Amino acid sequence: MKEFNHVIADPMGLHARPAGQMVKACAAFASKVTITAPTGTADAKRLMAVMRLAAKQGMELTFKVEGPDEEKAAAELQAFLAANL
Amino acid sequence: MGFFKKLFSKPQDCLCAPVAGRAIPVSQVPDPTFAEELLGKGIAVEPAEGKVFAPCDATVDMMFETGHAVSLVADFGAEVLIHVGLETVSLKGKHFTIHAKNGDKVKKGDLLIEFDLDAIKAEGFNTVTPMLVCNSSDYSTFNTFVDKDVTNSDVVIELAK
Repeated sequence: MKEFNHVIADPMGLHARPAGQMVKACAAFASKVTITAPTGTADAKRLMAVMRLAAKQGMELTFKVEGPDEEKAAAELQAFLAANL
Repeated sequence: MGFFKKLFSKPQDCLCAPVAGRAIPVSQVPDPTFAEELLGKGIAVEPAEGKVFAPCDATVDMMFETGHAVSLVADFGAEVLIHVGLETVSLKGKHFTIHAKNGDKVKKGDLLIEFDLDAIKAEGFNTVTPMLVCNSSDYSTFNTFVDKDVTNSDVVIELAK
């Protein structure tokens, strides 16, 4: 299992577009990706669940990546977050 | 048997237009997030008036506090996202009035959001309003009815598992 934190830097928070891009990226992984926020927990492959987190700028999210490709998935996801959120 | 199956099978579920205006294919929305169906399959409406209505009986899943988008879970299971205009998140709620909150049970035709169509246009935003089914991959049949003028009484998406 790989775990890391990311603080949302996007001033608009985790709105529809970045949420959709993140869900699409996560859907390509075999691993299960779970996001924990102060507002709840979401399966990162489900857009509605991710949007329900209503993550805002400055909010810290914890990502848990678990599965056969967790090393690669965690690295790719961290790169995506750094570039987009 | 096919005849009987057809005769007695459950009618297809449907979604009506969330806003009155011109229905267009989502592929014509000038934003790849929607046009490439990244968030799910759907349609879009070029609004003629600033009122978003529930497209079906549903539960409000997430009303964005900015009022520019709302997600609903239809009573029949579809996860529906309605996004008013493009890039409108940056208005931070200006020109939007929310009429429903998270967890509300709504009936088809209930008013969800009001928006000032002219003011949003005047600020240079495209007001095209995509409606997407986020779990569209769960459905084997997904028919859209576009390239026509619609109101909240008109079915724009028909789907079946």
